[in-house]
Amino acid sequence: MTQDLLAPLAAAKWTFATRRVDRALIAGMDTDFAAARAGDLILAQIEAIGKHQCVQLTSGRPSNIFAGDMIVLACGARYAPDQFEGLAEIDPAGADLLAGGGCIGRMVARNERVKVATRLLPIGRLLDAAGRPVNLDRFALPASNRSDEIPVVVVLGTTMNSGKTTATAQLALGLRRAGYKVAALKGTGTGAFGDFNQYADTGAHWVADFTDAGMVTTYHEPLERVKAGLRCLLGHAAERGCDIAVMEIADGLFQRETGALVADPWFRRRLSGLVFACGDAVAAAGGVAILARHGLRPDVLTGILSCSPMAMAEADAATGVPVLRKSDLSDPAEANVFALRALVGERKAA
Amino acid sequence: MPRSTPEPSLTSHRVASSSGTLPARVVHPAGRSNLPPLVVLHGISRNADELVELFRPEAERSGRVVVVPHFSEKCWPTFQRPCRAARPDQALLALLSHLAVIDPAFAGPLDVFGHSGGAQLAHRFAMLFPHRIGRLHLAAAGWYCLPDTSMAYPYGLGADATPGALTWARRHSQALPAYLRLGVQVYVGTNDTGRDDSLRTGADVDRIQGRDRVARAETFVERFRAAARARDILPDISLTRLPGVTHDVAEAIRRADLASLVTAGGRTPFAAAS
Repeated sequence: MTQDLLAPLAAAKWTFATRRVDRALIAGMDTDFAAARAGDLILAQIEAIGKHQCVQLTSGRPSNIFAGDMIVLACGARYAPDQFEGLAEIDPAGADLLAGGGCIGRMVARNERVKVATRLLPIGRLLDAAGRPVNLDRFALPASNRSDEIPVVVVLGTTMNSGKTTATAQLALGLRRAGYKVAALKGTGTGAFGDFNQYADTGAHWVADFTDAGMVTTYHEPLERVKAGLRCLLGHAAERGCDIAVMEIADGLFQRETGALVADPWFRRRLSGLVFACGDAVAAAGGVAILARHGLRPDVLTGILSCSPMAMAEADAATGVPVLRKSDLSDPAEANVFALRALVGERKAA
Repeated sequence: MPRSTPEPSLTSHRVASSSGTLPARVVHPAGRSNLPPLVVLHGISRNADELVELFRPEAERSGRVVVVPHFSEKCWPTFQRPCRAARPDQALLALLSHLAVIDPAFAGPLDVFGHSGGAQLAHRFAMLFPHRIGRLHLAAAGWYCLPDTSMAYPYGLGADATPGALTWARRHSQALPAYLRLGVQVYVGTNDTGRDDSLRTGADVDRIQGRDRVARAETFVERFRAAARARDILPDISLTRLPGVTHDVAEAIRRADLASLVTAGGRTPFAAAS
């Protein structure tokens, strides 16, 4: 009977969030969805297509999805102001595809400009041979005590889609061109291969995100767990011989985990460089002012703002912080300014 | 029977970058020493082939790999300094990254030698990327980027209204402490005192850096030392005067053993060093 229950797993589409999972450990399923916690693996069936018409596969390619398709994904929360807010809760009667990277949960808020979430029919929660839920945290990289050995340039921003991922990738490219072994990391957010692949395309020496630290998303995770994830990623970057890390922190400064990190003394001490991505000069001024309250001052501004010479001039005048375009960040002469500042270990306070 | 000295082998490379394609020839000695590879940068005569032959015996003798890029006039009308019009630094970095894939020795700091315009590129490259430099050898540069703000960029690190000057001055300034910690050997021929068309002249550069290459080399060494000491850095820079040598790299190598001095690795024992 167990074999019959597991048969759909072989043909199912395993989403990117499950990329570290050892499928051989899966020995059964239950339907105790009320007990599901963030990171638990769920087999679900596509019930009705909504916002997401694709899922991201572990192979790194998108797959169209159709009603009736079986997919394996992780229970998780999501915070995406341009799309959904969702919680790591699963209603047996029906759940929401919160992210194409493989996040199932309950949508609680939706941006009016996007369609309703793609609906999922939960089939089962995956269990190991001992009957324990199989959770992503089981497949996390081991903790590392070497996280302090590597300098990190952090990329923050005003909100989702302000240009943080582009800034992270372009700076990683510039540092790689300057001859450094670079780790390109996503410290918080929701697991997806878009950012991951964009980082990897730069030739960064090592690319990882919070899923490699055992989380499908960091939304609603305790701050200490989020920080442990950052330490894990930085430590493994050091172990892999990286000289420097560039780390994107998702969403805006007011987002729950991002705000908590910016307010955290350990996190602030760990910064060797700070890039702030924003969409316009007013956002730049606001971001710089908020960061100043925490004793931080960005080394540069970038993002959508940098597409407009006029916005760049306004932001420069308003904040006194240089504005760099993505082509500047990927310029090894400019990127090396970050590296030298980071390797010397001096940062200016606000 | 006497054993013949094996001839160093030569390989050719062409490396594309966002700034353009840069060909280079690499001299591989039969017996490798633990000295870092040496990058040899030609001047405006663009005599890369000649430099390959001139450095080839020294590559074998010292056991160092020698890389000689060729900035052709067609592809690189400007190559002496990174600027808006040309980014020879990016092409050079791309070449080194390519070579590092083949030979890990290229991933670490490298010694760099440049003559004339090549010396200009060499010291500006070192200012931007000091972490890529082991020891810097500068021969007969026509003028320098002084490591202070006595002149606006590109003559120094001051900024004026020239587009991009502030950006480039900032980029160079950030790396200044690491640059000033480098070991630098400056060479100039004692007869390299002409003011020909290839020497940049002007009231400010003549007044501040000197009227010829000898005076400008002296000024550069003085300013480098002063800038280092101002930052509590013990400067490791010296000037070697090559007796009777004019502005001719082949002559400097044949008459004054310049290639030997450069490939020796450490500080020169040359009597005229100061």
